[in-house]
Amino acid sequence: MKKVAIIGVGITPFKARYLDKTYFELAYDATKLAISDANKNGAQITHKDLKSTVYGIYNELFERQFMPDIFINSYIGMNDKPGTRIASGGATGGYTVRMAYAEVASGLSDLCLCLGVEKCNDCYDEQTGTTTPEVLNAIAYSADMTYEYPMGMMAASSYVSLVNAHRDEYGSPTEEQMALVSVKNHGNAMLNPIAQSPMKITVEDVMNSRIICYPFKMLDCCLYSEAAACLILASEKKVKELRVEKPIWITGVGAANTDCFIGNREKIGRLYSNVNAAKIAYKMAGLDYDKIKDSIDVAELHDAFTGQEVISYEELGFVPYGEGGKWIESGGPMLKGELPCCPSGGLIGCGHAVGATGIMSTGEAALQLRGDAGRHQVAIEKGRAISHSIGGPGAAYAAVIVMENEEALKR
Amino acid sequence: MSKDFQAHEIRDEIKIHYKYTMGGQSKFFIELKNNKKIFGMKCKKCGKVWMPPRINCSDCYEDTDWVELKQAGEIMTSTIVWFSTSEFIKDIPYGIAFIKLDNADTSLLQGVFAQNLVPSKIKKGQRVKAVFKKKREGKMTDFFFVPADEHDAWIKKPEYEAGSE
Repeated sequence: MKKVAIIGVGITPFKARYLDKTYFELAYDATKLAISDANKNGAQITHKDLKSTVYGIYNELFERQFMPDIFINSYIGMNDKPGTRIASGGATGGYTVRMAYAEVASGLSDLCLCLGVEKCNDCYDEQTGTTTPEVLNAIAYSADMTYEYPMGMMAASSYVSLVNAHRDEYGSPTEEQMALVSVKNHGNAMLNPIAQSPMKITVEDVMNSRIICYPFKMLDCCLYSEAAACLILASEKKVKELRVEKPIWITGVGAANTDCFIGNREKIGRLYSNVNAAKIAYKMAGLDYDKIKDSIDVAELHDAFTGQEVISYEELGFVPYGEGGKWIESGGPMLKGELPCCPSGGLIGCGHAVGATGIMSTGEAALQLRGDAGRHQVAIEKGRAISHSIGGPGAAYAAVIVMENEEALKR
Repeated sequence: MSKDFQAHEIRDEIKIHYKYTMGGQSKFFIELKNNKKIFGMKCKKCGKVWMPPRINCSDCYEDTDWVELKQAGEIMTSTIVWFSTSEFIKDIPYGIAFIKLDNADTSLLQGVFAQNLVPSKIKKGQRVKAVFKKKREGKMTDFFFVPADEHDAWIKKPEYEAGSE
């Protein structure tokens, strides 16, 4: 396989609602930002130089359009070139990066656009006069329609079932430990200008927020968001030809799906998709799962819900099973902790614009490795980062991406 | 967004009607509706009992046989939902749980109710029993579970009845 680098990152602000943009207009904005970033990074390209696109768009019902990719393809001026859509629930972004990587690594494309967008809040619930219940309904159609949807299953109740089972088995995370994730990620978002939910809050604020699904409370849950995020991926030959100053190399790509029927799993409280995706990605990058915490500088995790971020610390190999809660109590994943997790604010701080989310987190990690993350920049010593995407019923989908800067590869 | 920008929003909906076949799983729904029985499927080779039923074993790539399941089981994990989708917000609060019926090998997601619906009533390890609606449609909503010690009280309500085992 050929080496693949991220040479440009474009992320629009994550907002509750763009009244002045459609999904394809947002996609255009992110594409233009990514091209501009690549050019600041030494390249001199326009959209005409791009050879192919991989689109990450989760939910047709949000976009009110069942083949949204072809309409974006027209709007961003990519006619007469290949464009492929990926849809993998909440993990759409991570899976889209994986497939864009594959386009370049295989030689099918040497300059590939990896573009995710989602615009959920055009959904509208007439009974309550608000958007959220209808957005949740559009998502709930991703549950099994025969056995699960009729029970009133939705994203939060699906994930909380795993978290409750995990706590029953391993004693972690407690409600207070989960609340610390919310405090951390809302707080980190205060340093990130694209974030939707920057907030300085306390554990008590989280504990006192309204109950959603026992024991998840409002501030344990990410907000659904509207945004687009875009990466430009290039082959090694193209990186040299374009004289890119700070390419960020994708050195590990892992994805795995576990059983979408939670009740079929050996242990209900495990996120098997996460550990399996992580092991594939780390192995490809030549990293040891048991030493991963000491091998990377930063992790952009998929914190759809606080308790699930804590379990991810364990499944991704940062700490042993049952110790995720203690690790956040000790400050491990904090902005200045031993391994900062979600310095961008993650989904809880930035918002969750599903198809864009995993591309945003991968782009954020790449900017960290370039030293271009802005006010939430963390110390980069090893030159290595990961991004993590999960989604689907009971977190059935997962993707993990390992990235390294030039200095890391020279070592 | 510029100050003088004015958005134009339209009301719209996407609506599709179905006459959806349950295919190989049809018997499960027919038995619920007509006979108040819960059927799973057992692999001819490995003996695993799948619930929800599968006519093929995804582990062995062999066919499975129908097998009647017990209507009692144990909660593996649960939650109480206090905010929900546009379709279910009228029903809050409601309980859902993954329930392992006594002779099944996998757990089924189902509604779980209690006279006083609090987390301690539906926690892991709680024994539960199935209650059937009198008006059944051959859907998952034809039945639900309650704590075993409340079963007698629930089946006395006019709209519900016990299953047949």
